[in-house]
Amino acid sequence: MAITYELVKEVTANLYDWSLRRIPESSKAEFRKALATETEPQARQTLAFMLDSAERAETTGKFLCSDAGVPSYSIKIGSGARMEGDIRQAIVDGFAELTRTIQPPLLRFVTNPLTNERSFHGKDMPLVSWDLVGEGDYLDITCAPKALGGGRWAAVEILVSPSLGEIERCILEIVLRAGGQHCPPVVIGVGIGGTFDHAAKLSKDATLRPFGERNPEPMVAEMEERLTRAVNQMGFGPMGVGGATTTFGVHVEYASGHGFTPVAVSFNCWINRRTRARIYNSGVVERIE
Amino acid sequence: MTGSSPIRLSLPLTSEAARALKVGDVVLLDGDAVATVGMPTQKRMVAEVEAGRELPLSLRDGAFFHMGVSYEDDGGRPGAVHYVNPTTSSRFNHLMPTLIRGLGLTATGGKGGLSQDSVDAMREVGCVYFSFVGGASALLSEGVEAVTDCAWRDLIMQFRLNRLRLSGFGPVIVAIDANGNSIYERLMTSARERLPEIIRSLDPTEHDNETH
Repeated sequence: MAITYELVKEVTANLYDWSLRRIPESSKAEFRKALATETEPQARQTLAFMLDSAERAETTGKFLCSDAGVPSYSIKIGSGARMEGDIRQAIVDGFAELTRTIQPPLLRFVTNPLTNERSFHGKDMPLVSWDLVGEGDYLDITCAPKALGGGRWAAVEILVSPSLGEIERCILEIVLRAGGQHCPPVVIGVGIGGTFDHAAKLSKDATLRPFGERNPEPMVAEMEERLTRAVNQMGFGPMGVGGATTTFGVHVEYASGHGFTPVAVSFNCWINRRTRARIYNSGVVERIE
Repeated sequence: MTGSSPIRLSLPLTSEAARALKVGDVVLLDGDAVATVGMPTQKRMVAEVEAGRELPLSLRDGAFFHMGVSYEDDGGRPGAVHYVNPTTSSRFNHLMPTLIRGLGLTATGGKGGLSQDSVDAMREVGCVYFSFVGGASALLSEGVEAVTDCAWRDLIMQFRLNRLRLSGFGPVIVAIDANGNSIYERLMTSARERLPEIIRSLDPTEHDNETH
């Protein structure tokens, strides 16, 4: 048995479709918590409207957002996975078929950066990252479409031999620059260390972590809690119109590096589109999110 | 729903009605508005305004929103609306002052707000900016009765000038009023002022990361 072209094509297309119509369970839980603690009337009203709208999308199969975002997949490959056929092409073909058949139709968002021409396909689309992990006999596929609102405020700064305090200040300055532009309450992913590209990847991976899970290292977990409180003290609030709920969580990942320390920060908007499934060598598909 | 009960307004607003609104007012909208998310669209609009030509869809003294629209399209008149949702207005900061003044807009909107140059133009003309909730397409779309017209069909659907008929659209929030008050400016200034204190309050255990 093996993980086939056909199965990957079907599962990756479905993950994208599903991600457009419901928010993750851990996001819903954060909304309910925030509604219990947020005191600004306007912020409460906005949070309630968001949660109501997400529930309406889920029960009626409507889209959360008119902007479906570009398809982006993070794939973890167990070392025991056996693949059959052109798996990369399966993702391309699955997306192409979906854009022809999905209802309601998608708007054109895949943009050629050199000509600004928009369509449903393009170079390197869908965006896919591949990581080899452990000994599993599966592909673990997360789909997290990305659009301008959440995508454009990400940044990487490279510091030299910074203290922890300097790293945290750098993170908060990037967060301040974004203000309330990214459809908060956002998830904030932070990647520290390694190289420029590695820190950016860690930051992206950190945004994919469900709310409520902390980094297993106590020092980093404390940093996450500290930064979450600090961001929410800035006061941008839901949709950037004021309140104490700008982020549902700052997630931090780090890697060892050299004396230069890249600090990468990225955001995902409140709908936090994310779905996840595992395809096993046996052909079994396990929906995780 | 918690918070203040919304004011019901019909678009287009008169400039007097726009001037009567204040930052923080919560509003439900009826009536006509034109929406697009296109950068090329708004560059073309600026070129038309600067050349003294009328736009193919009249927007004079009207409502112009940064919002994507999807609808049935067989090449004739726009069909049933599928969904709408706002986009980030601030990326059009450099174009909006010309459009606000040149068209005499009385209402604009989207998400993320507009910069000081637009706030100034809005005060001169009598125009407000409404903040729509991004990502809440399922509920917001229920306030759009129809796409009644569109222009510039050479552009992709969400980049066209799409005229909408709204009915109970929102709630939306007055985030910039016609008296020079902007929630965005106020919150950014306040966050900037608070940042040094916030950073001090972090008080992480300082590690001296010098090379050993």
